[in-house]
Amino acid sequence: MPGTRLDPAAMARRAAQELFSGAVVALGPGLPCQLPGEIPDNGVWFLADSGVLGNNGLEANSLEANSMDGNTRIVDAGGNSVGLLSGGSFTGVVDVSGILRGGHTDIAVLQPSQVAVNGDFVHWTNEATGDLMAPGSAVDMAYGAAKVVALMPHQYPPGRSNIVGTCSLPVDGAGQVNIIITDVAVINIGPSGLELVETAPGWSADDVVAITDAPLTISPNLKEMSFQVPSLEMPNKVYSNAVEALKDVPEGATVNVDGFAGPGGMAHYLMVGLRDVGVKGLELISNTAGIARMSSFGAPNIIDHSILVENNQVAKATASYPVSPSVSRPTAFEEAYQRGETELEVVPQGTLAERLRSGGAGVAAFYTPTGAGTLLGEGKEARTIDGKDYILEMGLRADFCIIRGHKADTLGNVVYKGTSRNFNPVMATTARITVVEVDEIVEPGQLGPEEIVTPGLYIDRIVLRPADFSAYL
Amino acid sequence: MSTDPENQSAKGKLFPSAQAALADIADGASVLVAGFAGSGVPENLLRGLADTGVSGLTLICQGAWLPISGGFGVSDLVATGQVEKMVSPMPFHPEAGGPVKELWKSGKLELEVVPQGVLAERLRAGGAGIGGVFLPTGAGTRFSEGKELRPFGGKEHVLEFALKADFALLRAKSADTLGNMVYETTGRNWNPTMAMAAAVTVAEVDQVVERGGIDPELVITQAIFIDRLVLAAEQQEIS
Repeated sequence: MPGTRLDPAAMARRAAQELFSGAVVALGPGLPCQLPGEIPDNGVWFLADSGVLGNNGLEANSLEANSMDGNTRIVDAGGNSVGLLSGGSFTGVVDVSGILRGGHTDIAVLQPSQVAVNGDFVHWTNEATGDLMAPGSAVDMAYGAAKVVALMPHQYPPGRSNIVGTCSLPVDGAGQVNIIITDVAVINIGPSGLELVETAPGWSADDVVAITDAPLTISPNLKEMSFQVPSLEMPNKVYSNAVEALKDVPEGATVNVDGFAGPGGMAHYLMVGLRDVGVKGLELISNTAGIARMSSFGAPNIIDHSILVENNQVAKATASYPVSPSVSRPTAFEEAYQRGETELEVVPQGTLAERLRSGGAGVAAFYTPTGAGTLLGEGKEARTIDGKDYILEMGLRADFCIIRGHKADTLGNVVYKGTSRNFNPVMATTARITVVEVDEIVEPGQLGPEEIVTPGLYIDRIVLRPADFSAYL
Repeated sequence: MSTDPENQSAKGKLFPSAQAALADIADGASVLVAGFAGSGVPENLLRGLADTGVSGLTLICQGAWLPISGGFGVSDLVATGQVEKMVSPMPFHPEAGGPVKELWKSGKLELEVVPQGVLAERLRAGGAGIGGVFLPTGAGTRFSEGKELRPFGGKEHVLEFALKADFALLRAKSADTLGNMVYETTGRNWNPTMAMAAAVTVAEVDQVVERGGIDPELVITQAIFIDRLVLAAEQQEIS
């Protein structure tokens, strides 16, 4: 006789072994909601599609707790009441979908009702619900996460295998599941099908094969499941200075540079750092390409893109205001462009913002009315939708991003001040490495969860702008 | 967005009751309803919508999978028979059922099931003036059937079109008289996106404060998106 089946807490502890420090972990409804309660440390970002980042363990039996005061509860993907970790924050479902789809989610933990040998899965529905589907965010999680963990009972209802050769119901995700963790076994899904790699205490490989309605190969390294929760901690994101935070920017890198049209909301200190690193061939994505120097009026000159241009570091700019309004006072970028030293791609401001938002949110391309029928639409696909003309614009991503916040906590949660918000939050979502410069670094929990604009999962590095730093040349 | 002069009183966009705020909703209207699993649900407005007696509604919402005990949720509105169709990523809890399941099973309610992120993105596109978006979500499943597919970066993407509705029913914590709004915890959910995607938006709030009463850094939904306000508990007055 095989051993007993694992309880949900033990299954969650085994699933926790798939996580790593600082990972962004999306949890679907059902068993995955057990994970935060089994991990005592604040070492990963749990994400629920209800709009909570950093959800903590379940509060006492909360599915029945729906009531008139429901508005004040924090709910997870399963509708359970949950706590919030220090440094957690709230967001809306559209931003959650961007986190899931835009390559920001490392691991998704789902509870499918069926998984097939090729990684197809059915979410939640079964023969009783028939033709209905209940995808919720499971489809977004599965298609967006780097790794998909199916956490599910091996059989449900009793006697019926949830692991199958081919799904008997329409699938919610095609070929998306990477690993199955059940109440009796751990099974990897690879190109050659299912491989049994672990069994629960008291269960032999034969016991598992006997209740699995799909071919299993037995791993030569088959072992017993363990339930030790790994020790996880958030990586340190605070760098000592701007050069330290930017010294690995490679030659030819694409760099998002925040800012609007003046001193506010620009990462001046990081800009100086990027100049001092000296890396060449940069492609800047920014609203302007630097503003005109005002020295002829005796005013001090603000630090901006021009210091990179003058240092011969800029190969290209993608911008909506690349030129000075005054012919007699061209920007450094304009002069370099006229000399043939730089390339330029001009993009209307809203299109630039939307392209960045799409790049960050996993939208490959979108149809926008802006610029249809003008030079800006030339060479782009045109399409009429419901009688209106649109052009196809592509999502935009970058290698690095330098942005300017007001305050950040050590987890990377950022708040802005006034109009300095501008491009910062959207640019933060689009780069492989995002570096933020702030006036003040605080401990997790010191920024209100309703107040956080850029959640820490988007921020890789934090630099304090020195108190004596001047933004003027 | 509303230019109705009657809305420009000292109480701004505040209406005396949910029913008054929904008096001009027509049979067959499409209605966005915010809320996620009992959090951020406009219960007073849903009850008001039921009281108007309109029929043939299309509801676009998270779903009705957990009935709200003691309150009035999507399942309660569906139970009245006024809803013809629901567009939802989780129409009902598969194990729990409820009126949505019963009416769907008996053919009296049409369900269109869509992945949550796709629905959110379609509404965002509708609100932001985007005609359509190419998303990776659901390629190779029936969620992509009959839709245009195109590879980007070696990965199949599905063309999804923008979605807008006639009305949006929202739930926030506080609004000022102009309609600037803040939410509480996971009550935010669909609200900010839906606020942008309807011809007429009606928000139910715990309190209405004077302009300037909400920190400009904390406003999540800007007043330009909000047409009408009602109080969650109708006896409350402007504080």
